[in-house]
Amino acid sequence: MTSNRFRLGANQVLALVLAVFAVWYLNEAFQIRRFPLPRPVDSDLFPKVLGWLLLGLSALLFLTKNADTRPSEPATGRPWLEVLLTALAIALYAWALRPLGFVLASALLVAGLAVLYGYRQWWILATVAIGLPLLFYLALTRLMAINLPAGLLPF
Amino acid sequence: MDAFANLLFGFQIALQPMNLVYVFAGVFAGTVIGMLPGLGPISALALMIPITFGMEPASGLILMAGVYYGAIFGGSTSSILLNAPGVAGTVATSFDGYPMARQGKAGKALAIAAYASFIGGTISVVFLMLVAPALSKVAVAFGPAEYFALMVLGLTAVVSLSDTALVKGLIAAVLGVMISIVGIDLQTGTQRFTFGQPHLLQGIDFLVVALGVFALAEVFVLLLRGGAKAPPTQAIGSLKLDRGEIRQMAGPVSRSSVLGFFIGVLPGAGATVASFLGYSMEKRLAKDASTFGKGNIKGVAAPEAANNAACGGSFVPLLTLGVPGSGTTAVLLGALLVMGVTPGPMMLQQRPDVFWGVIASMYIGNIFLLILNLPLIPLLARILELPRALLLACIILFCMIGVYAVKFSAFDLYLLLGFGLLGLVMRLNGFPLAPLILALILGALMEENMRRALQISGGDWTVFLTKPISLSLLALAAFSLLAPVLWRAVQLARR
Repeated sequence: MTSNRFRLGANQVLALVLAVFAVWYLNEAFQIRRFPLPRPVDSDLFPKVLGWLLLGLSALLFLTKNADTRPSEPATGRPWLEVLLTALAIALYAWALRPLGFVLASALLVAGLAVLYGYRQWWILATVAIGLPLLFYLALTRLMAINLPAGLLPF
Repeated sequence: MDAFANLLFGFQIALQPMNLVYVFAGVFAGTVIGMLPGLGPISALALMIPITFGMEPASGLILMAGVYYGAIFGGSTSSILLNAPGVAGTVATSFDGYPMARQGKAGKALAIAAYASFIGGTISVVFLMLVAPALSKVAVAFGPAEYFALMVLGLTAVVSLSDTALVKGLIAAVLGVMISIVGIDLQTGTQRFTFGQPHLLQGIDFLVVALGVFALAEVFVLLLRGGAKAPPTQAIGSLKLDRGEIRQMAGPVSRSSVLGFFIGVLPGAGATVASFLGYSMEKRLAKDASTFGKGNIKGVAAPEAANNAACGGSFVPLLTLGVPGSGTTAVLLGALLVMGVTPGPMMLQQRPDVFWGVIASMYIGNIFLLILNLPLIPLLARILELPRALLLACIILFCMIGVYAVKFSAFDLYLLLGFGLLGLVMRLNGFPLAPLILALILGALMEENMRRALQISGGDWTVFLTKPISLSLLALAAFSLLAPVLWRAVQLARR
């Protein structure tokens, strides 16, 4: 049975994650190639200093008392699901941007997210979800000569 | 040229029809974005940067400056009407602004905030105009050692003034510098932390990080707080102030404007510290201190004048030294670098159009802000009633477009998501984000100046301690980190 005294708080968990990251970072820093000619400061100095600093700071964070810094939002349930699905939608958007094209992918993103967050006024949703990306697309490609992926659309 | 002639030159730039449009657009967009609870000036600036691509630097900075002070003002509207400050800089406004709104005097509170912001903003521009050229003359003498020390001071000051633990602020700063050194080291051509990814050779664009840890993470936090549903706003009521009320706010506004400007100039301080100091100064001076927190006019006027004045003050180190003193000005510096302008002491000589154009545009912007926020406030306040669900979806799309437009790389969109999640974790665990963004901007510059200083000194590390300015700045930096620790130790000993 674990007693409360030894339970790891948020600071301690984060400190451990940061320490592991710092060790990995230092390992990478020690593999940075040195410049053939001698220089007062080579490319590896800053990363090494940063790695050691982060390792030291993680140790300090581990010893820091856990204050109640969390805001008062619910920690479980639908809000977290919304965040997770939003993150997934962004990743999908990045993946589908080229094959689907800017307008289609953006319209699906806006419509999907708005519905996920509870918006149900379909006409307004359709107008904004299609109109906004189309407006951006035309403004960027026609006025500013910026190439955005057309994808499945013929223009 | 004296200051007056320079200002006239600035007005020639700022009054060009397109620049007037940019000032108005910046102030308007800033006000609207700043009004949305959770989205502050940094998010507003980061969201607007892609629009400045390809613009003349003077026009771009005019737009961005408008966004900055517009967002500060927009934040106060949501503080007053919703008791939900968009940014830390307007928290103090809600102490008395929201009680006024609940007493049916939301209109008066908004009017006081608009007048106080206008006066605070205008006084700070006058000071900026007088102080900046003088400081830039001093800064011409700065060498790499001094710049390195100044950047260290800027970073430690921001860390020490973060409202959470010092250790967390330092970790945020270290992470920021770590992100800044990804890519090819320009001095040696060595790749650092690129993992063979061609997308990382040029480094991680600061806009990806800024939009991720600020705008996207803020959307995530809003979702967690159930922010997709708009809270009820208070009715606005009359905007008219009587003579007594104007007399009451005159003193606090003038005092807090001057205080706010000088706080804004200090590295690390800024709108938040200025508004809290302005508020507490007025509370201490007031004969009716017991009514503070219950809807006192001075409690709205003082922080509003102070935070807008601080906004002007924060331009001093940015424009004269090229070193931002806060997260917000760090994003502005990033935007300027994207436009090909390096702010610093030479900017006054090399790009007087940018320098004086921005200063003149601030006078005009403050007038626009007043026009927007007095007669149009009932209309603007309706933005708070817009369906949040749709608005959040659109903000996410803006973030994606902003990031994609930098390099047209889908890889950056994945990075954006990664930084959004990093920002969320940091926010939920009380890590300040300003040190991260400031370190991201300053990291590469710090390394460059450190190396230059050491090259000049032939590798002698004492160069940072033998130059008086550098030594003083580093001593101040050490003091800024040690002061909170010592202060806490003294307080514990007293108990």
